[in-house]
Amino acid sequence: MISRRALELATAILTGSFGVAVVVSSLDNGIGWSSAGVDAGTFPFLTGIIIVLGSLYNLVRGVLPATALANVPIAITPIELRRLAGLFVPAAIFVAAIPLAGMYVASSLYVFAVLAIPKYQSVPRALAMAAATALALYAVFERMFQVSLPHGALAAALGF
Amino acid sequence: MDNFGELLHGFSIAITVPHLVLMVVGVLLGILVGVLPGLGAPNGVSLLLPLTFGMQPVSAIILLSSMYWGALFGGSVTSILFNIPGEPSSVATTFDGYPMARDGRPTTALATAFGSAAFGALVGVILITFLASWVAQVALAFGPAEYFAVYFLAFASFVGMGGAAPSKTLVALAIGFAIAAIGIDTVSGSVRLTMGVDELVKGVNFVVAVMGLFGIGELLVAVEEEFHARAVSTKIEWREVFRAIGRLPRHSVALLRSAAIGCWMGITPGGPTAASFMSYGIARRFSRRGKYFGAGEVEGIISPETADHAAGTSALLPMLSLGIPGSATAAVMMGGLMIWGLNPGPMLFVDQKDFVWGLIASMYVGNIVAVALVLLTVPVFAALMRIPFVIIAPLIVIICVVGAYSVSNSYLDVVMMLGFGIVGYLFKKLFYPLAPLVLAIVIGDKAEDAFRQSMLMSKGSLGIFFANKLVTCLIVAGITLLLLPLVLQLPRLWRKPASAATGTTAQEKAQETAQETAREKVII
Repeated sequence: MISRRALELATAILTGSFGVAVVVSSLDNGIGWSSAGVDAGTFPFLTGIIIVLGSLYNLVRGVLPATALANVPIAITPIELRRLAGLFVPAAIFVAAIPLAGMYVASSLYVFAVLAIPKYQSVPRALAMAAATALALYAVFERMFQVSLPHGALAAALGF
Repeated sequence: MDNFGELLHGFSIAITVPHLVLMVVGVLLGILVGVLPGLGAPNGVSLLLPLTFGMQPVSAIILLSSMYWGALFGGSVTSILFNIPGEPSSVATTFDGYPMARDGRPTTALATAFGSAAFGALVGVILITFLASWVAQVALAFGPAEYFAVYFLAFASFVGMGGAAPSKTLVALAIGFAIAAIGIDTVSGSVRLTMGVDELVKGVNFVVAVMGLFGIGELLVAVEEEFHARAVSTKIEWREVFRAIGRLPRHSVALLRSAAIGCWMGITPGGPTAASFMSYGIARRFSRRGKYFGAGEVEGIISPETADHAAGTSALLPMLSLGIPGSATAAVMMGGLMIWGLNPGPMLFVDQKDFVWGLIASMYVGNIVAVALVLLTVPVFAALMRIPFVIIAPLIVIICVVGAYSVSNSYLDVVMMLGFGIVGYLFKKLFYPLAPLVLAIVIGDKAEDAFRQSMLMSKGSLGIFFANKLVTCLIVAGITLLLLPLVLQLPRLWRKPASAATGTTAQEKAQETAQETAREKVII
């Protein structure tokens, strides 16, 4: 279970650290006024400052028990968390597999895995859908629109 | 009338067989993304974007804008039939649309929604027809300082009127600006904010951000709630369609008021979502039958639908004439314009007459096509909702992955897209608005350039933003909007002890809180 407060905190810290990174990195480009006009780092520096300040405010507001937060104390229940992971983890594995397996193999494996492993579909049907996905991608991108999707290191090793 | 002649010329461009076919394709695809949870208009349009690079700009924009209309209509279909808003902007339609459909009048609910939506869109297009070229003419005289002031006003109105917590809107906006700054700086040529990743030199493409924020993010939100698409009857009785549309003029006050709210919110970038909620709230307060709202009241459908479409349509006005998109989808379209080599803004009306008037004429035709198609295809798309989410979800993930990859054939984009997905989920969950983020990514560079050019002109003095009446007005209006949330907070603090004493009835209060949470939930 994740409380709304924890989620607010995590998000504010996330945005805040992005802001800090922006501020630090924009200092390299120089801030302020030079002979060539406004320095390249000025604008990002200011946005970074706004992000940091805004995040700090959100952080404080997230910690304080404000009335607006009171009616939804729990942001994510355990069941919801499981469903979230059920969608995101396979998707992340799919993306991680693309450089090796290529878009076609990875996406058909992904479709097969998410449909057949939790037994949402029978194995033959899941296989059919997986094959259809790869074929559709190939037809639409490689043929119709001439966009080459990554074939992957595996395909390269096999000589495709 | 000059405009009228131009518009007729536009019709001669829009009403050709290839363009009509594009409209039909666009509208159908639009309804599809509108109906599917996790895919919305911003995603749909960005998915189609790479496919339009080989087209004439006018054909491309007709395809994309038709998709936008289709998505706006498609969102209402699921709101009414399934109580599941397909688009954030059609959430307010569920309040009365679903109860009416559940009570055995789905055709009435759908026809009322589409009829008033078409009216809202019509008002929006008429406004564009008469106002856009005039605004563009005024804007032709704008210098960098005026431009920056207009950008400032646009962003300030998000903070002041967007509906989300101002501090969160501000953070979302600033993050968008920072993302826009990543890569090579167009003025000095130096590399910024790459944080050591060489591949980031090319910058972060807005399509990648949109795919993640709206696609994966929305999918993650949708998967949390196990949803059951329990549809009410989806049969369309044609006689009732015409009867329901024939009854619309009786509600002309609500129609006109909602259209006005919608146009206002569309032009000042409040967006369709905020417009539909505001319109619904105002209708409930002013209607004689206000207390029946929520139980299937006709005006409860008319108000959000009219405002939603009026806002969606008029969001294109500032995009065309000033180069400032009024909604997330308009921002994506504007990104497309820049990729096609057009420079959104007043010069379009001088250099690209065919493009501008072809688009405006196509909006009239496209909306008629959309109403006809959506009525004809309701049963088909309703059947689509019965496909289990577990099958649709991986397909949408693949679409987003391939979409992000095809922007510039880069694997890093895919990884970033997934990262944006997590950000999108967190932001949605905690009511950070996403539209300002996308807008800032698209026009951040232009706003920054305008700022730096005006600083060059004034040799570093901020006085240039108060140098003439126009620029002063814009800046002051922007500052007012920025401070608006603070000012509104004051009487609430002051009233707090008083309201406890007099007290509204418990029931009223509960209802208000429920509406507030529902509202907060969808202000994206």
